[in-house]
Amino acid sequence: MKFYNQLSDRYPFLKALPFLLPFAIVYFIFLIFPIFRGFWMSLHRWTMIRNMGFVGLDNYLYMIKDPAFWESLGNTLMFVILSTPTIVIGGLVLALLANQKIKGQLFLKIAFFLPYVLSVAVISSIMVYFFQPHSGLLNGILQSYFGVEETIFWLGEANLAWFVIVFATLWWTVGFNMVLYLAALQDIPESFYEAAEVDGATKLQQLLYITLPSLKPITWVVTLLQIIFSFKIFSQVWLITGGGPGTETRPIVQYIYETSFKQNSMGYGAAMAFAFFIILVIVSMIQIYLRNRKEV
Amino acid sequence: MENKTSPTAKVLKYSFSYLLAVLFIFPILWMLFASLKPSGYTVSKIVEWFLPPYSFSNYFEVIDQAPVLKWMLNSFIVSASVTFVVIVFDSLAAFALSVIDFKHKNLVFVLFTIGLMVPTEANVVALFDIVQKLGLINTYPGLILPRIAIPLGIVILKEFFDAIPRDLIDSARIDGCGLFRIYYSIFMPLSKAAIASIGIFTFIQAWNAFLWPFIAIMTKEMFTLPVGVPTFTDAYTPDYSIPMTVNMIASLPAIAAFLLFQKQIIQGIKFTGIKG
Repeated sequence: MKFYNQLSDRYPFLKALPFLLPFAIVYFIFLIFPIFRGFWMSLHRWTMIRNMGFVGLDNYLYMIKDPAFWESLGNTLMFVILSTPTIVIGGLVLALLANQKIKGQLFLKIAFFLPYVLSVAVISSIMVYFFQPHSGLLNGILQSYFGVEETIFWLGEANLAWFVIVFATLWWTVGFNMVLYLAALQDIPESFYEAAEVDGATKLQQLLYITLPSLKPITWVVTLLQIIFSFKIFSQVWLITGGGPGTETRPIVQYIYETSFKQNSMGYGAAMAFAFFIILVIVSMIQIYLRNRKEV
Repeated sequence: MENKTSPTAKVLKYSFSYLLAVLFIFPILWMLFASLKPSGYTVSKIVEWFLPPYSFSNYFEVIDQAPVLKWMLNSFIVSASVTFVVIVFDSLAAFALSVIDFKHKNLVFVLFTIGLMVPTEANVVALFDIVQKLGLINTYPGLILPRIAIPLGIVILKEFFDAIPRDLIDSARIDGCGLFRIYYSIFMPLSKAAIASIGIFTFIQAWNAFLWPFIAIMTKEMFTLPVGVPTFTDAYTPDYSIPMTVNMIASLPAIAAFLLFQKQIIQGIKFTGIKG
């Protein structure tokens, strides 16, 4: 022990090592190593049981010509485009509502945030029954109170299925964005509004010229997080539409899952997973680049 | 000079906010009331969902029928272990990165934060292979370890530790305290609030996790609640009571934790958002 102490005084890294090691080991085995392992697997034919031999870039060449890959990538992009503005703006609106100085402010915050603490499995289950054509709650409400006569098959058509998926995701996750916006709203100094009041600015002018400009930096953060989150979509689609009708809402993560674990071609699954990983890295880089340029 | 909003505008503002809030919890209330309806109950009018009769019989039936209590135990073992280990490992690493001056410290920190950009979704195929080779598929450690590898807690805690006055370390050193004593008796107690937030947030995230457990669990006995729940969801049966009961059982702990600790949870999100 004495020897260690003397040594670690000369090499402080030795002192840090016992603190860093427990996390570092788990981190490298279960987070960093899988990236390299995944790339290695993508160069092979690989089943769930074993490695069937080196095939070079064949999996990638197959991927480029695989219409199902492009379709699922397109579906993912579709979801990013549909969900990002909806859930970012939704979070902003809820934050503005929950930030009002009114009675029951806490109730508003809790209500808007509550769905976020439920599991995606529960959210999806509720949504399946909510949108069920014959005995579901929504069609029931539409038919009893809004004079709708036909039975709407919410999951029977791609456009409606997309609506259901975005709706479910909005309901489930918008509370997260709201909390980020609320934090930023509370950072705006009260004196700004007081000064505006004195100058006779209306509430609308205060919103447009004080509140919204002050929220610009947090909007970047929220949008960045939202885009990455939306790219990774899988669970709610899998559990609500199963990727259907047909494969019209199947996202890339689901296609990777099905290829690897149902079709048993983990080599090809790993190739698509690696491509997906690269896409996410590029998206993050673009965002960081844009943000830095804006700040200069 | 009075720039007050008119009373009608105020009423509109109030009612819109409340209406929206009620709509947000409406499906959750529906889940609650549907779980209290006798099994096989059909409604002809929407309001009947929310009216009596109420009964708890579904809860007993579900517990008899399926290993829901076992799933709950599995979820609890996994989430509690993840939370405990994340707090210990992340705080140890954050302490070294904040307090000890060693060469290439910044490089180590960057290497750790890179992991935030690596999504589980893109890693599952290789992760499955690795966990399988380690013989950990369908085991608790196989579910726990990949979750511990996420470095978010380190980033947040380092920030916190950096703000602790260095004089405290110096005086502790003079009193003959070793590094571990300083970590354990000074840094941990001073960061209680941050640790509580990270802990509760980590617990709820682990409790609700779907993708990796869904892939790594092979037998019904090992299911966590989120993996078990969808086995009850079937759009083609008119009986909603049983699946909604399972949903309720899976959600109650998370809802209770949220209502009890909403401050810490919301704090946790602010950390994640700002540092994520």
